[in-house]
Amino acid sequence: MRTSTQRAITVQLLVVVLASVLFLAAACGREEITHARVKKAPETSAGQMSPTAMAREKVPAPPAPSNGGELQWTLPKGWTETAGSGMRYATLKPAVPGRIDVSVIVLPGPAGGELANVNRWRGQIGLGPIDEQALATARTALETRAGTFSVYDFSSEGDNKSRLVAGLGVVEGSTWFVKMLGDAGPVAAARTDFTRFLQSLRRDAAN
Amino acid sequence: MTPRISARAWDALTSLKLTLVCLALLMVLVVACTLAQVELGTFGAVSVYIRSFLVWWPVPGTAAKLPVFPGGGLVGLVLTLNLVAAQAKRMELSWRKTGLWIVHAGLILLFVGEFVTGAFQVETQLSIEEGQTLSYVESPRRMELALVDTTDPAHDEVYGIPESRLAASKVIEVAGTPISIRVKGFFQNAELTRREQGQGASPADRGVGADVGVRQLPPVSGDNEIDLRAAYVEPIANGRSYGTWLVSNGLGAPQSFLHEGRTWTLSMRRRREYLAYTLRLKQFRHDRYPGTDIPKNFSSLVQIDNPARGEQRDVLISMNQPLRYGGKAFYQASFGKNDTLSVLQVVENPGWLLPYVSCILVGAGLILHFMLALFRSLKRTGALVTR
Repeated sequence: MRTSTQRAITVQLLVVVLASVLFLAAACGREEITHARVKKAPETSAGQMSPTAMAREKVPAPPAPSNGGELQWTLPKGWTETAGSGMRYATLKPAVPGRIDVSVIVLPGPAGGELANVNRWRGQIGLGPIDEQALATARTALETRAGTFSVYDFSSEGDNKSRLVAGLGVVEGSTWFVKMLGDAGPVAAARTDFTRFLQSLRRDAAN
Repeated sequence: MTPRISARAWDALTSLKLTLVCLALLMVLVVACTLAQVELGTFGAVSVYIRSFLVWWPVPGTAAKLPVFPGGGLVGLVLTLNLVAAQAKRMELSWRKTGLWIVHAGLILLFVGEFVTGAFQVETQLSIEEGQTLSYVESPRRMELALVDTTDPAHDEVYGIPESRLAASKVIEVAGTPISIRVKGFFQNAELTRREQGQGASPADRGVGADVGVRQLPPVSGDNEIDLRAAYVEPIANGRSYGTWLVSNGLGAPQSFLHEGRTWTLSMRRRREYLAYTLRLKQFRHDRYPGTDIPKNFSSLVQIDNPARGEQRDVLISMNQPLRYGGKAFYQASFGKNDTLSVLQVVENPGWLLPYVSCILVGAGLILHFMLALFRSLKRTGALVTR
């Protein structure tokens, strides 16, 4: 009798231990932050989600400016242009080596206002927001054939500085944003050409 | 534990009544789970009734929940204990009972297999278009905040912060980066609208979120619905704030900021698992019976490219022929975009063999037990005839 009770208790304990291990394994499934080094590859956004999700997650690109509001420009020597996608109207590549990107974006109306957009740009390079007074100090007016553009030039803090030079102007009710962003060196090298590019902005010849 | 109490507990654990009670509870759970699928969907109902230790009832008007019924996990665990204990108590160790021992071992393995599946199975999806090459699978329901260093022209450093961490943490340190994420708000399901004047300032002061309004919604439950997750997050690096951003799987392109010359993007997306190999969809076929629109067959011809193994080959995945590769099974699940998009259900279950093994054990045990009984019976009959 004693032996059979001992055997029973032993089996009991073994079973409870087994069950506890399984239970703990199930309960301790805390998700961790993952890390992966992924080769860049062209992706079609549609292929990344199920058809059900696609219908819900599709966000339309902003409308093109209304008739009479489109701009033309002359590319500085060595610059290249590719058609825009998503939010972008056009993407430009200056003729300097290094990390640098120039984008042209157009949005209907005031698009949040000048101060909000400038602070958004500053935030992209880790600078804090500024007020209207500092905005006026930072602003440089640049006359173009499409009207006056406000130009801003900001550099980030830190060891590897980033620099942003951007102009914005209102043409026929739409706000145009032309932004050059990248490492401080390449942006400084392309700064003069960027100003020439802004000066070349003009209303579409067809209008 | 005194021997008397131990003996009574042992009797209770090994009783056949306990077996019957557990089986009755399982029947109730199965019926309740089936009915609940109308409101909760298959996944939700199974989570609430079957893959849980207790069924919780949310008290109306409060955030409190009360346990009202044992869940499938608890009943299954008690049934397993009951089976093991009963076997240890009643079954004699003899060749005569070998078949029954094998049958019981098979049943126990079946329960263990369900626990392993519940604890470790991971279901994801691969939605891939013809001609597209992908190296990741995505969760159909769970989201992540993807923080990606896109500076390198050849590679991206991708950090996936699971939504469970966003919901539970105030500040998340992202190991391997100088960045921490302060979570300022998390919405399990939300509706995104254009922020109107009079709505007040958005918590987001960077990116597109400044112009977007967020309205909290109750989570959806249908199998074909998906929550629209949203969160306000503030990246901080070396003590410097990069502003507050709205991230949501309802927003389009990732939003970016620059830190110390490196470009980082933020986006809420389905939780990804990157693979050590790539899959390219060469062709998707949706065959119909001639002269009708009745589907006859769905199949995806994919190319596996695994540089680590020096392997590149084509595989045809069809309705009843999944691809098993790298511990995952790829099943043909759905399609779209005028038959140019294939959706594969990807299942990773370390215990996938256990149900097969347990069925074989139960079958073999029953056959063995029957044969031994038949043999004994024939032997007895032969002895009678001889006498």
